Order: sequence, then C-alpha cells, then structure tokens
Amino acid sequence: MDPEHLMNEQLESFRYDDAIVRKFLIATFVWGLVGMLVGLLIALQLADPAFNLGISWLSFGRLRPLHTNAVIFAFAGNAFFCGAYYSTQRLLKARMFSDLLSSFHFWGWQLIIVAAALTLPLGFTQAKEYAELEWPIDIAIAIVWVVFAVNFFGTIARRRERHLYVAVWFYIASIVTVAMLHIFNNLSIPAGPLKSYSIYSGVQDALMQWWYGHNAVAFFLTTPFLGLMYYFMPKAADRPVFSYRLSILHFWTLVFMYIWAGPHHLHYTALPEWASTLGMLFSVMLWMPSWGGMVNGLLTLRGAWHKVVEDPVLKFFVVAVTAYGMSTFEGPMLSVKSVNALAHYTDWIIAHVHTGALGWNGFLTFGMIYWLLPRVFQTKLFSTKLAEAHFWFGTFGMLLYVAAIYSAGLTQGLMWRAFDETGRLQFPDFIETTVKLLPMYWVRVLGGSLYIVGMLLCGYNIFRTWMARPKTYEEPVIQAPALVKRAPAPEHAPAGQPGNLWATFTSVRWHRKWEGLPVTFTVLTVLTVVVASLFEIVPTFLIRSNVPTIAAVKPYTPLELAGRDLYIREGCFNCHSQMVRPLRHETERFGEYSKPGEFVYDHPFLWGSRRIGPDLAREGGKYSDIWHVRHMEEPRSIAARSIMPPYPHLSRQKLDFDGIQSRVDAMSMLGVPYGEAVNHAPAIAREQAGAVAAAIAEQGGPRGLEDKEITALIAYLQRLGTDIKKPTLTLGDAPAEGGR
Amino acid sequence: MKLSDIMGNSGLALYAEIALVLFIVVFVAIVVQIFATRRSDMDRQARLPLDDGERPAKENKPVKENHHD
Repeated sequence: MDPEHLMNEQLESFRYDDAIVRKFLIATFVWGLVGMLVGLLIALQLADPAFNLGISWLSFGRLRPLHTNAVIFAFAGNAFFCGAYYSTQRLLKARMFSDLLSSFHFWGWQLIIVAAALTLPLGFTQAKEYAELEWPIDIAIAIVWVVFAVNFFGTIARRRERHLYVAVWFYIASIVTVAMLHIFNNLSIPAGPLKSYSIYSGVQDALMQWWYGHNAVAFFLTTPFLGLMYYFMPKAADRPVFSYRLSILHFWTLVFMYIWAGPHHLHYTALPEWASTLGMLFSVMLWMPSWGGMVNGLLTLRGAWHKVVEDPVLKFFVVAVTAYGMSTFEGPMLSVKSVNALAHYTDWIIAHVHTGALGWNGFLTFGMIYWLLPRVFQTKLFSTKLAEAHFWFGTFGMLLYVAAIYSAGLTQGLMWRAFDETGRLQFPDFIETTVKLLPMYWVRVLGGSLYIVGMLLCGYNIFRTWMARPKTYEEPVIQAPALVKRAPAPEHAPAGQPGNLWATFTSVRWHRKWEGLPVTFTVLTVLTVVVASLFEIVPTFLIRSNVPTIAAVKPYTPLELAGRDLYIREGCFNCHSQMVRPLRHETERFGEYSKPGEFVYDHPFLWGSRRIGPDLAREGGKYSDIWHVRHMEEPRSIAARSIMPPYPHLSRQKLDFDGIQSRVDAMSMLGVPYGEAVNHAPAIAREQAGAVAAAIAEQGGPRGLEDKEITALIAYLQRLGTDIKKPTLTLGDAPAEGGR
Repeated sequence: MKLSDIMGNSGLALYAEIALVLFIVVFVAIVVQIFATRRSDMDRQARLPLDDGERPAKENKPVKENHHD
C-alpha cells in the first residue's frame, strides 16, 4: 500500500526498561498498604476516640491528611507511574528517554512520600485538601514532576510508532494538567522553613483549592487510570478496545469539561452563585463521556466474558470499570445543588470517594499488578487462587464500607435538617447526629479490614512471585523500523473533489500531521484546560462585585493568627467546617449564614469539607474561655459521648511568641493591613494572651496559661464569626472601629 | 484604584462569551474529525497495545509491519 514507506524501513534494535516498572510496582504495593492501614486507624478513631491514643501526632486531625495523601499520591501515583512506564515504552516502541531520569523520578517521588509521612503527623500543613504539604515539599514535587515530564516527552520524541495511542494522550493530559494545578494552587508566601500562607484568601482561595481539588481527582485519579485501562484492558482481554473512536471522544470530552466542574464542591457557600451553577452544569454533562468510557471498557470484553470466570485480572478490571461508572454517575448527581444540600459535609461524600479509590483506582491497580507480575518478574504468578481470594475479600470489604458509610451520610444529613412539628430542630444537639453513626463506623472498620486482608494476600503473592524470579532478568531485544521523519503519503486518496474544504478537513493528512506533532497536541491540550480555568477563576479575582467587602471585618490580631495556625496544625478543619450555608436548618443550628466578605483575611480559607463535629463559623462568644480550656483538655468531660480527640498538650506547650512576627510579616506582604503589629507582633500578642489567661483564671480555671498555646487557640475561637455582629459606622468612607 | 477596579469597569464580559463560543467550536471540530477518520485507520490504531513489537530478536524473523492489517 505504501511501497515508499516499506523500502525506507530500517529495523532498529532496542530494549525496554522493566527494572523501573518493577520498582514502581513494589512501591505501589508498600505505600498502598501503609496508606490503607492509616485509613484503618483513623476509621477506628472515629468509631472510638480512645484510638487517638493520647498522642498528638497520631490524632485524627493529623493523620487524616496522611491517609488521603498516601492513598492518592503514594498508592495511586506509583501505580500510574508503574503502568505508564510499562505501557508507554511499548506503545511508542522505544526505551524511556533516560534511565537516569527514570531513576531520579522514582527515588525523588519516594523521598517526597517519606517527607509527607514525617511532616503531616508533626502538624506541618497548608490546610488545603490534597495539597497539605508545605512549600519546600511542593517545590520538590514540581521538580520531580518536571523530570518525569522531560523523560516522558523525550520518549515521545524518540518513538518508533507514529500514532500516539489514546492511553498516551491520557498520560500527556495528566502530566501537563497536574503540573499546572499543583503550581497555581500552592502559590504561597513562606513564613518559616515549614510554614506558609496561601497568596489567595477566602472565596478566591476556596475557588482555587477546589479547582485544584476537583481536578486532582480528574487528572491524578481519573485520566491516568483511564490511560491504564485503555492499555491493560485490551491486553488482558487480548482484543482491541470496543470502540477506538469512542475512546478518543472520551478523552476530548473529559479534557474539555472536567476543568469547569470544580465549583460544585462549594454549593451554598459564600461562592458567587453563577460559579457554582456553572460547576453543576459541567458536572452533569460529564456524566455522558464518563459512561461512554465505562461502556467502552466493559464492551472490550465482548465475546470474552468466559475469560472473566477464570482470570482474576479481568475480574478486578470489570469491578474497577463498574466502580468508575458508579462514581461518575454519583458525582454529577451530587453536584446538583439540591442533592448537594443534603450530602455536603456528610459521610455520603466519603462513601463516594471510596467507591472511586477502593473500586476504581484500587481494583484497576490490583488487576494491573497481577497482569504485570509474571511479565516483569519473568516467572509464573505464585498463586491464582490467592489472587481470586484477594478479589473477593476486596469486593466484600468495599461493599461493606460503602454501604455503611452511605447510610451514615444519609442518616446524618437527614437528621441535620429534621424539624419537629413545632418548627424547631428535631436534633438540636449536634452530637446526637454523630453518635447515631457509630454502629456504621464499626461496619466501616470491618469492611476496611477485609479490604486490607485482601491486600496482604496480594503482598504475599508478590513476595512469592518475586522469590521465584530468574537470577538475571532477560532483556529481549526488540526491533522496529525507525520513524520516517515526514508523514508518509496518505494511504487513501482524499474523498471528494480536490480543493473541497470538507475533503481536506476530513482527509487523513490532517490527522497524520497532528500525530506527528505531539508538542502541538500537548499545547492544544494545555490551552484547553488553561482557557477553561481562566474563565472559571479570573472573574472572582478581577470583578469587585463578586466579593463584597464588609467594613466591620478586620484582620486577626497577632495572637489570633497564632491560634489560627494552631487550629491548622492540629487539623481541626478536617472535622469542623467554618461555613454556615444559607439553609434554614443551618442558620437555626449555627447562626447567621456566612458572607463572602467575612473571609477576606483568611489565608488560607478554612471552610472545611466535612462536619464530623459542629460548624465553627459562629463559634466566637458561644462558650466561655474556661469551657474551651476544659473541652480541649478532655472533650468527654464536657460532652460524654464526644468523639473528638483530646488536646491536653495545648495547655502545656509554650506558645512561640517570637515566631509570630514572621507570620504577621508574611500576612502583611499579602496585603493584610496589620498596621503597627508589623513591628510589635510578639508584644501585642503577649498582652492579649495575658488578658485571656487572666479571664480563664478569673472563671476558676488553671493559672499560668498566659504563655501556653491554649490562649492563642481560645483567642482565635472566640473571634470566629464575631466581626459582623459588631456595630459598624455608615458603610463607605468612614472606616469602622474594629479588632480587639 | 486597584486592578480589580480597572478590570471590573472595562467590560470584559463579551470576551468571556467569545471564549465560550470558540471553545465549543473547537470541540465540535474535534468531534467531526473523530467521526470522519477512516475505520481502517481506527482499527489499526486500536490494535497498538496488542502489537507492541514484543518479539525476541533471537527468533530472527522480520518484525511484522504493523502499519497494515
């Protein structure tokens, strides 16, 4: 058909690098197990606070981010790299661009994970979900990610197959988008070696964070794994994907739509309504490509369903793709405002993400691992039976987990909004709605344990397979023709008349030219996500009316700022929201709903995403200072059935007054009007701490707290949500008296 | 006067609408292109994961030309 092409063909010899695949495979398993064991521990802590063990760095608020980061970036991340290094080389018929860069990528990523595992329990956090790691680690992530990108695009440049298979497209989109999301969400001003403040505040920070958070799910947990699915599913089923056309359509629709959907995490918050409606619309539209992808994955097994009975790899894949379908059905549903009003802040969201993480990411990874094991270790899989057992343990564990947490979410959501016949809240005591969930939390512990038992079986299988490996691995020489520099002549004569615009447009050349230009392709993909992002984000930054200011809202005092940083260090935002939605049951329960203008000095925003405890947006003045001291010391001395961890160390540890200055300075660099506090922050803080400690002593509490951390935290909590209650002068030119 | 004042008063809303239209046009063009690609090309591309050239050289057979089905 193409004689010129055949004649020019010259076979080149090369070898694939599977050593890097083996490394990432082991790392995937090890970190997966660690991340899920931490998950089990925090599940136990919610079922019974005794599991906080009275150790500050093992308490729920510190470990919850460790669990999410470990599962997302360590487990799913390494799984993506493992599968990408295996499949990319084979799809492009080229060894990775540089073994050194591959190695740097591997060890760099593992070091970052270790750094996360150390800093998060110690309380170093940016308080942004899935972006908790502090700025030096963020820089390291950016460097390692760029190294990965160079290695990846270098391989593309040296490829011997002209067409980039759709899996590679998914990898490209993931790599470039994650880089963009990571950099822009983590822009911050350092206030110390492991402390920084987001350059955005309040509403803008929230929008940035959920633009990031949503797309981290999209481009770290969805598109990379779709790439893996489009490679490993056909491999395991030994037949091409059901519809290649559909897979390309799947790719472009996801890239076009995903980036717009972030605001659905912020319904009924102080975010402007147009932004959340936009997020909702795009989320609902996403349902179509997602289900197209799911159907495409499942139909790849057409005529091969009998294989599913015998092959655990396909079993894992079938459940994974089904879980993808379930969670991408649920996602758009949850993004509908009225559903979101019920589900937001409840365990329903936790159930949703675990369908995705345990089902989609977990099972796709396990299927891939079992498929890879005999190939990369060049021996037989130790035991298919054990793999089958893993599958059933995992499936039942996941079902138990999700069913229990679903019902927990619905139960709590319905209890929050229940009114009795006299028009008052039926469950005015928040703790009633939490205690009700405890039986379901125990079922979650059981489900999670079953899932982990399955993983242990997997670990044993990996270990025994690895033991049976050959002394030296074979590295077969592969031969493939070099890529002809220019695109080969079209195989078919263009349809229609020459010069016909339609014919030119639809002719193969157009497409060929594109494929020959992966850089162009990448630029187009980047443009797509950048344009969508700008459209979503820029207006809140630039159009004043979107964040109306409130004259009475003043910056936090230096002591309150230090208290806020303690609130961040202890991870309080993991269980307490600071956002009263304009819904009747919320204003009844918590007080006046939150306004966008209240958060203009909140770097970062602390709206939270889950209410395991009550909302704190209007906490200021609700209880006395002494109440807070006792409550922090031992929550169960105030509320017998509370599941909050105790924080006795706050009353013992000394507050670092001198360190407050650099924090105030960083804040004032961000434009927070600190006035004279810029030079005298420690002195001002000491003065306020003395007043707080005196008040505590006066109320009959312990003496000598003026230099302890608890005073700062109480100062902050007592300030929360009080500004708008202060009388303001006429809005406009005369600035109101404020602050304390 | 802050940047937000300038931007807020300069009437940029139209550009957002133009961007949206461009966005949709590009998307439609891609969709048309996808459906206009020949079936034979698509089939070959779909087989790429299965035809990954993983054939030990010692067999000493010419590698199959993958470009043609």
